[in-house]
Amino acid sequence: MDFSHFLSALTPFNFALALFGVVAGTVIGSIPGLTATMAVAVLVPITFSMEPASALILLGAIYTGAIYGGAYAAILLNTPGTPSAIATTFDGYPMAKRGEGDLAVALACFASVFGGMVGALALLFLAPPLSKVALAFGPIEYFWLSVFGLSLIASLSNGNLAKGLAGGAFGMVLSTVGVAEISADIRLTFGSQVMIGGFGVVGALIGLYCIPVLIDLVATPDRHLKVKDDAKAVRIGDAARLALGSKFNLIRSSVIGTVVGILPGAGGSVAGLVAYSEAKRTARPEQRFGEGEPDGIIATESANNATVGGGFIPTLVLGIPGTPPDAVILGALMVQGVRTGPALFESGGSIVYTFIYGLIIATALMLPAGLLIGRYAYKSIVTISKAVLVPTVGFMTVIGTFAIRNSVSDVVIMICLGVFGWVVSRFGYAASPIVLGLILGPIAEQGFVQSWTIGAATHNLFGMFFGRPISQAIIVFTLITLIFPAYIARKNAKLEREA
Amino acid sequence: MSQVKEKRIGSLLVSLFFVLAGLVTLYDTRSYTDVDSKVFPQAVAIILIVAAGFACVQWFLSGHARDEGFAEGTWWRRILIVLSLLGACFLIPAIGFLGASVVAFGAGLVAAMHDRWSPRSLAIYCGSGFMTVVAFYALFKFVLHVPLP
Repeated sequence: MDFSHFLSALTPFNFALALFGVVAGTVIGSIPGLTATMAVAVLVPITFSMEPASALILLGAIYTGAIYGGAYAAILLNTPGTPSAIATTFDGYPMAKRGEGDLAVALACFASVFGGMVGALALLFLAPPLSKVALAFGPIEYFWLSVFGLSLIASLSNGNLAKGLAGGAFGMVLSTVGVAEISADIRLTFGSQVMIGGFGVVGALIGLYCIPVLIDLVATPDRHLKVKDDAKAVRIGDAARLALGSKFNLIRSSVIGTVVGILPGAGGSVAGLVAYSEAKRTARPEQRFGEGEPDGIIATESANNATVGGGFIPTLVLGIPGTPPDAVILGALMVQGVRTGPALFESGGSIVYTFIYGLIIATALMLPAGLLIGRYAYKSIVTISKAVLVPTVGFMTVIGTFAIRNSVSDVVIMICLGVFGWVVSRFGYAASPIVLGLILGPIAEQGFVQSWTIGAATHNLFGMFFGRPISQAIIVFTLITLIFPAYIARKNAKLEREA
Repeated sequence: MSQVKEKRIGSLLVSLFFVLAGLVTLYDTRSYTDVDSKVFPQAVAIILIVAAGFACVQWFLSGHARDEGFAEGTWWRRILIVLSLLGACFLIPAIGFLGASVVAFGAGLVAAMHDRWSPRSLAIYCGSGFMTVVAFYALFKFVLHVPLP
């Protein structure tokens, strides 16, 4: 690693690629249904004629831009543009509804840039040692990690834990529909060919989050989002102050994002949920997570963008993709003739370090580009007439869902799931626990069944589930997450009574 | 003085639906050949039945509503927006993605339009809507290479 690699990343061509990648990724990521994986996959073919380092810079920039772009739809439409932005809806949309969408968009940009930088710097300085974390995680650690994510249900239940748990369990039931991954049994399809493919996560996300918003929007003539009289296009100063005021949250969430990014298969959605859970656990009494708390956006957006750099660590050092877009990028590298592995940092050091510096430049470019696009997105959404906004969003849900598997059936399922989500949400069953179950269900099932099999084979089920140090640490964090808020609430109630 | 809301039968029906979904899941697991396929669905189905069953008990014990129900709003607009999206899906095989999207967009426009129609608003909304649909269709079909029918 030397300064020449930084200069290589700064050549006009590489700089232009980084800027183009960030802008293209942000725009694609902001469209519900188009994920970061899709954004990278679509643009892979144009990298084949490039130098490997330039190709990597472009793909890395698209990836990081797409993860950030998902926040726009999450904040302004209550629909995560990408699955990584699920937890951004929890506080982003309530902020937008009360007239602070401009602040939320700017805050998401600052947090994403910070998280992206932490992930990229971890890749630059700590890649070889950190890659060992990926190898330390076995099936049981994944199982407990998903249980930790599911502990968020307690805080997403709108005051009724039984309904939240039922929603989460129902989401996990939905995740089992189709062909079982481990034993290939066909489950809960009731003989329907359409259901064999199961519920696609992205389609379900669009349906459960977006369709209820559309149904509510058309029902009354009220404005879509409140706009304050003194509203600016994007509140950069306020957002910067808020972000700086939450330094610890930013750093913690970025570290969580980096570590979760390193774990193969976990990805930005898990990172965002875990970081959100931690931010909520350590919240001050006056903070209201789920009702438009800026710290919720800071936590999720810094964590999901940190997974970009984190995910590249096992991809480049071990040849194991950390996240789905990394798998596509790994394929592009193989086409380029680049062999990943520990030796890449020495034999192919020039490519790797030029790419890492390019990723850092792209992440930095996300600040001006993201604020500019965010300003345009916010102004468009608040000024556009509801009569045009509703059918436009409706059309995007249809085309976005169709694009995932080129299936009209998926679109029908998405709409039906959306109507179902709207009906149950009216009676206290929020969509978020269902989505949480749908996303974490497959990770939990795979981890549980594999651990059970290994434990049974070694006659050490208890040791398998509870005896490994990383598992024990995650279990402790899960218990603290579940118990701590109740303890604090009880303590505050006691103090109020005494006062 | 705050008014106590009457509890809603819909809340109980939704909870009962979840209990039923859990029972159906448990029943379905009987046909799986591999025990690895059964363990997880059975576990989550039991959690679902217990949690939703508890919500049912809460409904009977509670004297007032905790949820907002369907609230106010125009039902024909809600139904029209859903039918416009579903209709588009069924029209796609017959008239293609672009045609179905234009029809659905028009129906969605009617559902969401709360102001009085004027020749100007009709021209602007229909024109901008048509351009939006065509632009996204072109983006997905020709740039992103999604095989739209």
